[in-house]
Amino acid sequence: MFKTPSRILLVDDEKDFVEMLTLRLQEIGEEVLQAYSGLESLEKLKETEIDVVILDVKMPGMDGIETLQEIKKRYPLVEVIMLTGHGTIETAVQGMKQGAYDFLIKPADFDELTTKLNKARERRHDQMERIRKAEANSLLRRSNI
Amino acid sequence: MSDSHNISDSSHIGEMNVLLVDDEKHFREILVKRLSQRGIIALQASDGEEALRLLEEKPVDVIVMDVKMPRMNGIETLRHVKDQYPATEVIMLTGHASTRDGVDGIKAGAFDYLTKPIEFEQLLRKIRQAQNKIRRAETEKKEIEFRERIKQQMAINERLVALGTIATGVAHEINNPLAIIQDSAGWVKQILAKPEMSTIPRRPDFEKALDRIQTSVDRARRITQQLLHVVKTQSAEIPDLVEMTEVNLRKLAGECIALVELEASYKEIKVSLESSDPNPIVWTDPYQFAQVLLNLLTNSIQATDAGGKINVVIKSSEEQVSLAVQDNGYGIPEENLTKIFEPFFSTKAVGVGTGMGLYISSGIVTKLGGVMAVDSQPDKGTTFTIELPVKA
Ligand SMILES: Nc1ncnc2c1ncn2[C@@H]1O[C@H](COP(=O)(O)OP(=O)(O)OP(=O)(O)O)[C@@H](O)[C@H]1O
Ligand SMILES: [Mg+2]
Repeated sequence: MFKTPSRILLVDDEKDFVEMLTLRLQEIGEEVLQAYSGLESLEKLKETEIDVVILDVKMPGMDGIETLQEIKKRYPLVEVIMLTGHGTIETAVQGMKQGAYDFLIKPADFDELTTKLNKARERRHDQMERIRKAEANSLLRRSNI
Repeated sequence: MSDSHNISDSSHIGEMNVLLVDDEKHFREILVKRLSQRGIIALQASDGEEALRLLEEKPVDVIVMDVKMPRMNGIETLRHVKDQYPATEVIMLTGHASTRDGVDGIKAGAFDYLTKPIEFEQLLRKIRQAQNKIRRAETEKKEIEFRERIKQQMAINERLVALGTIATGVAHEINNPLAIIQDSAGWVKQILAKPEMSTIPRRPDFEKALDRIQTSVDRARRITQQLLHVVKTQSAEIPDLVEMTEVNLRKLAGECIALVELEASYKEIKVSLESSDPNPIVWTDPYQFAQVLLNLLTNSIQATDAGGKINVVIKSSEEQVSLAVQDNGYGIPEENLTKIFEPFFSTKAVGVGTGMGLYISSGIVTKLGGVMAVDSQPDKGTTFTIELPVKA
């Protein structure tokens, strides 16, 4: 399958979980970065260009929803998939309202995760594409004057 | 026996049965007649033994009884009566100047005593007082029963809430390690799928073990997801997840039956649908209600032997619609009736039932403003009834 090179950021305070999911995603050829807290994820986003963030809802300190809000404020085009470990779908719904692309209930099915990952990635590329075109158009218009 | 049925003023006395026990026939007959004129129907007995025989056929509310009688005397009869019919009140009639008998009577449980020759109006007053005492005792008993039921219900509710809270906590704590187990096994599987791994020794053993891990994780995951669902259905702060709309209950029930028909047909179980109203409309959330109905139907199928019958009956009135799922299956033993609504209570084999079905279902019904009740007889069958308000 054709895959555009892209980066995934995995954010969860549970180290073993992050490690295992990273290994699985790497096994199918993904490039994965890790962050173990909301704050750390923001640092990583500042340093590296990321396409999709997989974000645990429940973390000590800055929780998933807060992190999501911060990510969306700073990088509106980055897609976020929420992982709800403690299951109040409520939080997931709230996350969707705050601009998350989708959510998964932990433990999530790997195939389901990769499907959503690919869709999120597609949407990001579509949007970037559209913005590029829009910019090109406005450049064109400006040069027409 | 009394032949005076044509009484005009019986209404203010209400239904009351009086038994008059005296060995003097003349005295009895006069009294019965006078009582009947005042709206009180009285049976007669000429001695204690006859009185006890009559009581066996038909218990009475108040007994008016002479102390002095041949064979079994009044006090002895009184003891038998109080022993076998404690709710019956007895007024003793004692001879002149034998207060002793009256006191003995009271000690043996008589309501009161009157001295012969009796004054009729006084007897009437005493009978009415005895009747009032019975009425009071009855209402008190009902009140106590009612309070007891409410208390039980509250205790059950409290336990459900506590269990729900614990259950959610458990679900949360389990999900993270579960995710790690799943991804670890999944990773090994991915590795095994690589071409360079195709010839490793004992490959089927690895695959078998990984497969077991996966099915077990799936099972645990189903349990925790249902637990999480409980939270969703129980927490009242998320009304936007309940989508209330006008629902034709007969149509919805038909759709649910269609979903389980295949499973039922494997066991040759017939599922039928009856509705007094062709279009019983309720205002509810069709998806959540369907979930409840599917749970009930599945339970009935699982509890019914081959050739059994399941009947869904819908009855509607102005204010409410009731839906009953009846089966002629194994039934539920009395001691389990209060437990079946608790989370994780299941009599089914591991892997068949998680015991969450009724817990979740009753939560949903409550949330939709309805009530769910169960009626079951071992080896005869079970009926679950849901009552929903027509308008929320
Ligand atoms: N129609 C029925 N006839 C007889 N027993 C029943 C019936 N419905 C429920 N029960 C009893 O109540 C128990 C609890 O039912 P419940 O639906 O909550 O759980 P379950 O069916 O065991 O598992 P699951 O949640 O997976 O459906 C059952 O295990 C069974 O013993
Ligand atoms: Mg069930």
